[in-house]
Amino acid sequence: MITYLVRRLLLAVVTLMAITFIVYGLARNMPGSPLTVQLGEVDPSRKLSAEDQERLKKIYGIDENTPWYVGYATWLGNLARGDLGRSFSRKQPVTTLIGERIGPTFLVSGISLMLTWLIAVPLGLYATARGGSVDERGTSLLLYVLYSFPTFVAALFLQIIFAVWLRGTRWELPLFGMTDLPADATWPARVADVARHSILPVVCQTYVSLAWYSRFIKANMEEVMRQDYIRTARAKGAGPWRVLLHHAFRNTLIPLVTLLGLSLPALIGGSVIIEQIFTWPGMGRLFFESIRERDYPTIMGLTLMFSVLTLLGQLLADLLYCFVDPRVSVE
Amino acid sequence: MNRAASHGFWAEAWRRYRRRPLAMAAVMFVGFLITVAILAPVIAGTKPVLCRYKGKLYAPCLGYFDRRLEPVIFTKDRFRGEYPRNLKEKDPESWAIWPLFFQDPYRSVRNNEWPGRPANPSRDEGRPSRTNLFGTDQYGVDVLAKMVHGTTVALLVGFLSMGIAGTIGIVVGALGGYFGGWVDMLTSRITEIVMCVPTLVLILALVAIVDKPTIWKTMAIIGCTGWTGIARLTRGEFLRLKSSEFVMAARAAGAGPVRIMLRHILPNALAPILVPITFGIAAAILMESSLSFLGFGPPPPAASWGSLLNDARSNLSMWWLVVFPGTAIFLTVLAYNLIGEGLQEATDPRLREARK
Repeated sequence: MITYLVRRLLLAVVTLMAITFIVYGLARNMPGSPLTVQLGEVDPSRKLSAEDQERLKKIYGIDENTPWYVGYATWLGNLARGDLGRSFSRKQPVTTLIGERIGPTFLVSGISLMLTWLIAVPLGLYATARGGSVDERGTSLLLYVLYSFPTFVAALFLQIIFAVWLRGTRWELPLFGMTDLPADATWPARVADVARHSILPVVCQTYVSLAWYSRFIKANMEEVMRQDYIRTARAKGAGPWRVLLHHAFRNTLIPLVTLLGLSLPALIGGSVIIEQIFTWPGMGRLFFESIRERDYPTIMGLTLMFSVLTLLGQLLADLLYCFVDPRVSVE
Repeated sequence: MNRAASHGFWAEAWRRYRRRPLAMAAVMFVGFLITVAILAPVIAGTKPVLCRYKGKLYAPCLGYFDRRLEPVIFTKDRFRGEYPRNLKEKDPESWAIWPLFFQDPYRSVRNNEWPGRPANPSRDEGRPSRTNLFGTDQYGVDVLAKMVHGTTVALLVGFLSMGIAGTIGIVVGALGGYFGGWVDMLTSRITEIVMCVPTLVLILALVAIVDKPTIWKTMAIIGCTGWTGIARLTRGEFLRLKSSEFVMAARAAGAGPVRIMLRHILPNALAPILVPITFGIAAAILMESSLSFLGFGPPPPAASWGSLLNDARSNLSMWWLVVFPGTAIFLTVLAYNLIGEGLQEATDPRLREARK
């Protein structure tokens, strides 16, 4: 067990180095630098003079004379000392930035993941129980259609309906942002306001995964329902629901657990598109902005976080796998 | 003897596929899109499909495919893209067959450009009307014309980027699965690394790197990032098949590794590999429209469905900029997903047994 863990972790470190190396190379080779992009966009007259640019580049360590792989080594060295660097465009440590953005993203994706499971499991069971009937086929088709519905199209539709057509009615929902209230508003008012703002992003994030999860559960259930022990359970007189829940569903938990592990990066990484449409101050939006601003330290910090989470999710899935299924061993 | 049993694998699969009405409808929809893409200049445009001018026949509508295909004489005679008036003025004898909708995908139609028709409405006044069935965008460009000409992009993105992804995925997966050992170690590692970088992150970074993105570069980037799933599946299939008897027989007959991989294993592994490629086409179309939507797509005047949606974001009251292109993207993605699903059901023997 310990040797397995050590081997997996060592492999993960190598993979992480490769990923960060590639992304650092890509980031540094994008046209423009944080200095030119950031100031030039706001006001062309504020574009830095050549000397000023050189001076600042020296300070920030993004000099053209030092090749980018040397910059990568510096970044790696700082990382070893637990320092992710400071954002160029926001003048804040990257860790602070990530800490600020992680809450909002977690709010949306956490609620969405919970809703997904709460709805998808009963839906998948229902689809198996009523398999082949007209209402089951209708539901499955609807879910399939929803699965193909692009999130950004759905988000725009919802925005048009709830923020434009229903404007002025009690059903109106805010178009974007997380809160409209000033910082000194009372707690209950703040919570209510954030909740109202988060409805549309949560709905958008939930419906796609809902369709996917329930189909996944149904496919696994169908596989299990063909097994001999289900026939045995039926033969000994177990009722249909008992067979479904007690005998069949329990045996589909293993792939579900794996899925839970693999959804870890999305839980904290958020969705670039949804956060961008609803201007939700989360991780996905931070990444999008940092690419536009050529903010290397933030790009790297976020990439590192995404990759660590992905690898961690995979490891967690494998470990959980042998935890729930004693037949599987890590060796 | 049952004659149906002697059908080949693909004939059998097709027979099974045809029994699924939704999957067949999806194939027809893609066929419809291909027709629209090829006939785009005939459906919507401001250049005559066919015209007789100064005693000769021309097809200026070809200029929509490539500017060089537009006959030089019209540039020489200073038509400046306005055909109806110039044709009549410069050669009263001339005649022309016009596209179904006299609307241009790249510019607004001016006042009286088509005799007796006012200019296209611009800004948020361009709601759908009889002249602009799907409305017009902020600058008065007809949405239907833009969508019809954008069909080519949507189709090409799917086919080309998945062609690239499929080739990379099959080559990488086949090498790893067939040779095993350190080759497998290397290819699996590379696949894993590409898989671990979030796709959108990688694509956004690559798009930012290429200066002046064009639709071709976007396709190449989507293709170069979307091959990991195909590689994994191909590897598995090759691993499974390389120890089968027909491969051993081929090896005994003296076939080299390349021949065995291409002629013996690949045809037998093709069906399961085609399924993720079809789903990949849907994902590629989705990715291209998301990129255009985020403003990372090719710059105007390239017509892409996603960029129309991006225009709508700044003015949500122009619902027609969302509803029509959004529905087009949705239906296309749905069609490819349905085809992939049908293909899976038709070719996977495991699923077939389950139905019995």
